[in-house]
Amino acid sequence: MAVREKPHARGKVKAGDVSQRVGVEAIEARGVDVPQLVDKLIDAAGAEFTTYYYYTILRMHLAGHEDYKEICEDARLEDRAHFELITPRIYELGGSIPYDIREFADRAGCPDAYLPGTANGKQAPSADGGGPTAASILEVLLEAERCAIRTWSEVCDLTFGKDPRTYDMAARILNEEVEHEAWFIELLSKERDGAIRPSGHFRRGTPGEAPYSKNAGFYNP
Amino acid sequence: MVWCGAEEHVLDAARRAGLTLPSLCEQGWDTACAVKVLEGKLDHSDARRYYPQDEEAGFALICTAKPLSDLRLRTHQSAAMRVHRDRHGLPAPRGT
Repeated sequence: MAVREKPHARGKVKAGDVSQRVGVEAIEARGVDVPQLVDKLIDAAGAEFTTYYYYTILRMHLAGHEDYKEICEDARLEDRAHFELITPRIYELGGSIPYDIREFADRAGCPDAYLPGTANGKQAPSADGGGPTAASILEVLLEAERCAIRTWSEVCDLTFGKDPRTYDMAARILNEEVEHEAWFIELLSKERDGAIRPSGHFRRGTPGEAPYSKNAGFYNP
Repeated sequence: MVWCGAEEHVLDAARRAGLTLPSLCEQGWDTACAVKVLEGKLDHSDARRYYPQDEEAGFALICTAKPLSDLRLRTHQSAAMRVHRDRHGLPAPRGT
């Protein structure tokens, strides 16, 4: 009796060929433009990385607002976690991050989150009380998160039903970016406008907990 | 034909008119919303990254550009604007 080959045992990639990736072929066959996706992921990784950098500075200048500092720290560490999550996927898809960090920052898909009052990072802020306010810093944080939401929504759209691995990653990151936006809406509303617009949740259990992108158990506050 | 207020960003006016146009950062940084300006002038001061060379070459980022006159625009110019930026050694994301 002839042994029937299992249907997924063979494909276009020849046995032993390490120059091709079945993980890429499979999503291309389902309609993903892989070079375009890789470019988008590199742009997005650049944005997460630069955001992590700039949030480090923004956080420092929230002196006296310890609650804001803690929440900025959560967003900062989670953006770093996003960079760490995206980068392996770029390499799996056959891409790489730029070999020059300047190129990486230049191609980031979202604006640099400069500290207000620094002329786009070209000068130190005033130290005599005329420097950036908590409200101005919260505005920068909010707009950075909004750009991230637009970015990850687009990646979800591009991969839904075609590339479950990238989709799952993008959806996890998007979950956290949406929460970050909600935090900064709540804080900026109170700080700048004296208005209450609840985020619907509380601070993380541990700094930068990343409940979605670090694959920890989902929390239910 | 789309009516756009002087203090309104062109993309917002286009959306109000029911047009669906590409955009991503919506802060005048990436080139997803790029258009070619066929006629008219725009105020680009709200953009986070826009160069004199962009204006000279007739490119605009409508997510943050406001009209200074009547306009005629060609949309979906992200790839062309990226080529222009490359030619001038100016930065641009690659995935838009």
